[in-house]
Amino acid sequence: MKVLLVEDNQEMILNIIKYLSQEGIICEVAENLFEAQDKILSYEYDCILLDLTLPDGNGLGLLNSIKGLESKPNVLIISAKNSLEDKLQGLDLGADDYLPKPFHLAELLARIKAIYRRTKLGGTEVLKFEEIEVEYQNLKASVHGKPLDLTKKEFDLLVFLITNKNRVLGKNAIAQHLWGDYTDNLSNFDFVYQHIKNLRKKISEGGGHDYLSTVYGIGYKFGPIQS
Amino acid sequence: MRLLNLLTAVYLIITLLAVIIGGYFIYRKLVSEIDFELGKELERQIEAYAERISNGVSPSALESDRLQITELAFDLKEEGLVLSDTIAYHDPLNREEKQLKASKSFKIGNTHYRISYYNLVVEAEDITETVVYTMALVFLIQIAFIVFFFRNISNRILRPFHSTLQKIRNFDFRANEPLLFEDTKISEFDQLNGFLEKMTQKLLVDYRQIKEFSENISHEIQTPTAVVSGKLENLLNSEITEEQAVLIYAAYQNNERIHRIVKSLGLLAKLENEEFKASTKIDVSEILTKNIEILSELITLSELKFQSDISPSVFVNIHPSVAEIMFSNLLSNAIKHNFKGGWIKISLVTHQLIISNSGEALKQEPIELMERFKKESKHIESVGLGLAIVNQICKTYGFRFCYAVDKDNIHTMTIDF
Repeated sequence: MKVLLVEDNQEMILNIIKYLSQEGIICEVAENLFEAQDKILSYEYDCILLDLTLPDGNGLGLLNSIKGLESKPNVLIISAKNSLEDKLQGLDLGADDYLPKPFHLAELLARIKAIYRRTKLGGTEVLKFEEIEVEYQNLKASVHGKPLDLTKKEFDLLVFLITNKNRVLGKNAIAQHLWGDYTDNLSNFDFVYQHIKNLRKKISEGGGHDYLSTVYGIGYKFGPIQS
Repeated sequence: MRLLNLLTAVYLIITLLAVIIGGYFIYRKLVSEIDFELGKELERQIEAYAERISNGVSPSALESDRLQITELAFDLKEEGLVLSDTIAYHDPLNREEKQLKASKSFKIGNTHYRISYYNLVVEAEDITETVVYTMALVFLIQIAFIVFFFRNISNRILRPFHSTLQKIRNFDFRANEPLLFEDTKISEFDQLNGFLEKMTQKLLVDYRQIKEFSENISHEIQTPTAVVSGKLENLLNSEITEEQAVLIYAAYQNNERIHRIVKSLGLLAKLENEEFKASTKIDVSEILTKNIEILSELITLSELKFQSDISPSVFVNIHPSVAEIMFSNLLSNAIKHNFKGGWIKISLVTHQLIISNSGEALKQEPIELMERFKKESKHIESVGLGLAIVNQICKTYGFRFCYAVDKDNIHTMTIDF
């Protein structure tokens, strides 16, 4: 997957490139509107990560140019402004999603993948991890071909874990992903533990391995069993 | 107490004192004047009797109960007029009365007579009565004048002062207009007004700066916190020891906390600036139901019993996002400050929302928790702005917000729309 990151903050760029490149995503950078215009006209991208406050103008301006492109890339707005108007206007102008800064990189990756699946693959892709298979379209997961009875949240959690496999996922990143802003006021992340516990139980009951490990009490990691 | 009433009262007390003191002196002057005039009259009478004696009328024929004629030794010097008070029998009144006695001696022929003549004096009570009556009248006239003229005039003089007070009362930071006053032609008032004009201008400038500061800071902090959180997330995924992981995660969590505080403060600032205009009435029943749906899972996970009674189609004048924030804050509060096996009850009717829940006893007054950064829980993630936001929302939209905890530790939050 090829992504264009339109962002003017150097450190932000380094963070995102580092996280995404580990996932095999090719990431190019445009530091201002002018450069971004130039790049979208010259190359094809699957997804554009668009910051709104750019040195030479508002990132929303780029959305019109993107509309005119033949191969329309997905647009994910990443903005520190977090204003409702910007969000509505951005989505109105054809952006696919809006992620306010600061965000968890795990969340950014999950959103990029989700948009990609939804628009480019028509949601028919099957996500595989060892014996676990996830079908997005009908929200079904199976172990060794045997369907698992998962709740909507557990399904979301499984997708999030597989998307960010081999990464340490903080409890707040998981809570934020599952409940959004609602967890802002809920300091108790026992909720995350409950879901993780249930998911583990269901996978092992279905005959799957336990790929989930606790990382120093700060979060979880989903990955191949190391022995 | 109103300034004018105070002035009037002071003025009246001073006048009353002056009237009393004046009355005393008038009384004394009156008594001595009457005595003097009476003495003069008695002297004239005595001289008339002396005249008659010298004309050959026998003194014994003249004598009556008001006239005494005594003979003195001829070689004594003639006495001048002597006035003295005495109690004597008064025939017409048929009783002893205080009388004034005047006596003077005359040498008529070769006899030396002392002629004493009595007369009734004007009684002290009569004089007092007259004086008090007069003074009271004067005082009443004074009161009448004060009420009708002094107060009217003072009111007119104080009018610029009252208009200044009115303007201060109506002063509003959000209107962004400094106070302006007209020339009053009274130097003290002009000084006061000038001072107020300068002060409000300064206040508005300060207010704008603080407002801009809080707006800027909430925006400007987002980017650095985003950078920090990204760095830490990447760091967590590198080769690290457990000790390092715990340190990194603590930094990560606190960075999140900064973000949440800034976000909440930004929201509070926006609410205060009334940036969320409620253009139409919206159905809050729908929003509340949706909110409960999202949070119901957390309620179940927290092992809470949940009961709700939500009337359909309750319309309230509020911005939809603000309504969502308000409900979400109230509900998460009820979930957070509860215990396993506890309960939450929600009732929404026209004009009123009540959320009550079981919980712990509060260490501080419920009203204090509505203030910013006041919190009960020790959770690091808890910022202490949840209720402050609800409180600000209610202030902005003119709702009445009430938070109470009864003796059974039942927490009840009531909002009257």
